[in-house]
Amino acid sequence: MNSKNKYGYLFISPFFIVFSIFGVYPILLSLYMSFTDYKGIGSPYSANWVGLQQYARLIKDAYFLQAFINTWKIWGVNIILQLALALILAVIFSDMRLKLKGVSLFRAIFYLPNLMTVSSVALLFLYILDWHHGALNGLLLRAGLISKPVNWLGQPHTAQLAVSLIQTWLWFGHTFIIIFAGIEGISKDYFEAAMIDGANRVQTFFKVTLPLLKPIMIYVVITSLIGGLQLFEIPFLISQNGLGGPEGSLVTMVLYLFNQAFKYRNFGYAAAVAYGLFLIILVFSVIVFKGMFKEEV
Amino acid sequence: MKMKKYLSILLSTVVVATSLVGCGPKTGEKSKTLEVKKDKVLRVWSFTDELKKPLEYFEKKYGIKTELTIIPTENYASKIQPVLESGVGAPDVFTAEIAWLKQWTDLPYWENLSEDPYNADEWEKDYVPYVFNLGKDSKGNVKALSWQATPGGFIYKRWIARKVWGNDDPAFVAEKLSTMENFLKAAEELKKAGYKILPDEGALRWFAKGSDPKPWVNEKNELQLTQAQIDFMDYQKKLRDNEYTAMAPEWSPAWFASMQGPVPVNAGWEKDINKVKGNKTEVFGYVMPTWGLHYVIKPNAKNTAGDWGLTNGPSPYFWGGTWIGIYSGSDNKGAAWEFVKMMTHDEEFLNWWYKETGDLLSYKPVTDKVKDSASDSFLKGQNHYQFFLKEADKINPNIVTKYDQGIDNIWGNVVSEYVNGKKTKEEAINEFYKQVKNAYPEIITPLDKK
Amino acid sequence: MNKRNFIRGILYAFLTLLAITCLIPFAMMIINSTRSNTEIVRGFSIIPGKSLIENYKNMMYHMDVSDGVFKGIWLGYKNSFIIAVSVTVLSGYFSALTAYGFFAYEFKGKKVLFILILLMMMVPSQLGLLGFFELNKALKTLDTYIPLIIPSIATPFTVFFMRQYLVSTMHPALIEAARIDGAGEIAIFHKIILPIMMPAIATMSIFTFIGAWNNYLVPLVVIFSPEKYPLPVLMGYLKGGKVAENLGSMYLAISMSVAPIIIAFMFLSKYIISSISAGSVKE
Repeated sequence: MNSKNKYGYLFISPFFIVFSIFGVYPILLSLYMSFTDYKGIGSPYSANWVGLQQYARLIKDAYFLQAFINTWKIWGVNIILQLALALILAVIFSDMRLKLKGVSLFRAIFYLPNLMTVSSVALLFLYILDWHHGALNGLLLRAGLISKPVNWLGQPHTAQLAVSLIQTWLWFGHTFIIIFAGIEGISKDYFEAAMIDGANRVQTFFKVTLPLLKPIMIYVVITSLIGGLQLFEIPFLISQNGLGGPEGSLVTMVLYLFNQAFKYRNFGYAAAVAYGLFLIILVFSVIVFKGMFKEEV
Repeated sequence: MKMKKYLSILLSTVVVATSLVGCGPKTGEKSKTLEVKKDKVLRVWSFTDELKKPLEYFEKKYGIKTELTIIPTENYASKIQPVLESGVGAPDVFTAEIAWLKQWTDLPYWENLSEDPYNADEWEKDYVPYVFNLGKDSKGNVKALSWQATPGGFIYKRWIARKVWGNDDPAFVAEKLSTMENFLKAAEELKKAGYKILPDEGALRWFAKGSDPKPWVNEKNELQLTQAQIDFMDYQKKLRDNEYTAMAPEWSPAWFASMQGPVPVNAGWEKDINKVKGNKTEVFGYVMPTWGLHYVIKPNAKNTAGDWGLTNGPSPYFWGGTWIGIYSGSDNKGAAWEFVKMMTHDEEFLNWWYKETGDLLSYKPVTDKVKDSASDSFLKGQNHYQFFLKEADKINPNIVTKYDQGIDNIWGNVVSEYVNGKKTKEEAINEFYKQVKNAYPEIITPLDKK
Repeated sequence: MNKRNFIRGILYAFLTLLAITCLIPFAMMIINSTRSNTEIVRGFSIIPGKSLIENYKNMMYHMDVSDGVFKGIWLGYKNSFIIAVSVTVLSGYFSALTAYGFFAYEFKGKKVLFILILLMMMVPSQLGLLGFFELNKALKTLDTYIPLIIPSIATPFTVFFMRQYLVSTMHPALIEAARIDGAGEIAIFHKIILPIMMPAIATMSIFTFIGAWNNYLVPLVVIFSPEKYPLPVLMGYLKGGKVAENLGSMYLAISMSVAPIIIAFMFLSKYIISSISAGSVKE
């Protein structure tokens, strides 16, 4: 038996070889770079060592702070809408008295946007939301809902809202499927008991459904948070020259990192930004995890 | 424990291996005679399709196959730089636009053309001086050459001038636009007649640069914002506030469409979009250089060819231009040099190219011959060559820096925030300083002195 | 009863409205890809235009930037397909192998290594992005598919998922029985374990494939030559190019870029949705 155990190493070695080269080493190299003033020319090892200078800059950087706030704003609006929509849909479809039909068709339609190539989605909305000849303004004008075209992507608030809504459009179907599965997983007895006790729909929802769904909700929030803090494609492609305009309102943390590195070639600083981003995700994940842990106890 | 050891050995091997191969393109290995490899494909990278026809010409003339890769301007510099750094999949010849030309002249990406066997220094007298000078590095070595000169002008629709002022003569229109005060007066007259002087306010930026030509960053690495640039913020705002433009941003589909005919204007959009028709929102003219005339306006205004004019705006300026050089790590330098030579120093080809495009060349042996007889039917027979050559003499190449692409972008953004009323002038300028510092920490801005 | 029907009616109306909102961007996209640039600039219409073929020709003309080298959107499909298939196969096979290694054998450092995998699941991919770029620059693998394909041999989440699957479905007695029959360890994995793990591999493969097909940031950073661009990068590239001067062609390009996924979804929707449900409940 023991002699066979060397196969354990054999079986996991491809994973760990590749993992060390393409996973661990880049992370360590990024860390090293964040202590240098590397500019993307030559090799990071020949760049000047500057100690914690890049991190000192990061802490004082008003633009990074702005990127941090932008990212949270865009994510916050999106997660609230997304959860609300998904919950409403899940409750409607799981209602035992209504017995609505067509779940699978609606589910498929709601989920469809999630499969789209994100860069295509960004381009699509870039053109749909265009101030001058976007299809949305054209539609709203024709319907008489607005009298002047709205410069959706030209003003900070509407631009952020637009990105939030695009994110909601992309993800609410996915969240709905997960929450719906969660409700389906709850024993029917709970609902029947509530019905016998004479609870109405609203009471049932707040007293029975919601508490039982909490672990799943937290799972949804955590995965969405990790994804949301890394938002990049849509702001990058939807803003001119990928700079995150108007007034920097679409500069997310990853977009900031990308532009510092690949536009301005401040690789050293961008590496520090990456570690800053990592730390932020870590802290917030731990907070939410702790929240989840409390629930289980 | 074994595993750990294994891992650490592996890791350190990777570190050593990567640091060993981690060096840029090799320079220095040079042979005095260049071998032209006929059986190898010559690979060229550029940011527009303007080299497509010259490469076809080259293929026919030399029997060498070529391959052109195009990356649009927005991403060109950031895409090609890593290629030049690592040398993998690198082209034999690559071009640069003036906005990032200076980022590369001092790096070892381009072959030094001042050395044997190229000896491009001997050609200096053959070129419009500023064009030749911009291709040099800080030590005066020639790194890249260009076949064109790119002074700017104001390109306008003659029929609108006739309708509004009863005169479409370039000298007359130049007088109408000779100063910014006159320019604004003309804009008002055009507006009353139902026209817009420009597609968008941003077009003024070239006049702003041209009216006090200074580099963004001086030799002490200090950021310089000229009073002219600050004054032009107000001119831009006046254009916006008085609705003198069609609000069609450069390179947007609406901008292209405005060359062809009327476009809807946002400022006064009617509820019924079908009402926005007729010539109420037609754009009068464009602030564009030589290449803009030939590659942008002409193909988009075929229906009105022959009724356009070319004249001066409030100040002379230049915009863009393509430089071409040989990749220092190329293994096909012979063919690469043949192509660069053909493109920039081959009278037969350049003559053909002139006839094909009408583009303004920088190579004097050809320009001297054609400048007196040149006439552009698109411009109602105007001699654009004489006009542009005169403008080219006014160009000061010392205002070009390696930061131009980035800083131009940042400046354009803060000015539009001022124009949109989002920021006061002081806030906008302050924001400009901060953003420049953030992008280029090595530049000294006025904020550092406080 | 009547009241219930009334509520039902309202709810159906709401759901239909939501479904329409969901589909409107697709409708705009498809309709506008049949209209000419001038028509689109003039305003929106729900009536399709007649310029589909013209838009296609214009799109292909401008995408075909270098004669014979770059065949536009079809090449984008091909590149994305090559990458996504390779990633899916490598990730499926090696994750199953790794998961089985952790499941079936006892060896020193096993726990530490498994915890390492769990930790790596939490690390955002951007953390190592710049180092990854520099590594590939040094290895001279930039502008190749190596940095897009090879790292998929190590996909922590898939390994984790498959190990959980093995724990819940495999009985160690099966392996013992095979050993007694004289089968070698490697043969056991390929002949017995791999078939058993197929449902888990299939589930993960769908998501791996979609993820690889839609991946944007890494190829954006490591691929330079347009003829090597996968579809998502190609789409971003169009934005600044000649195709974008004609809105009809641009809408058509976007439609074509999402078409394969929509078609695949039509056949696989039930399976995909049940996989998402199953995955989340197990968590």
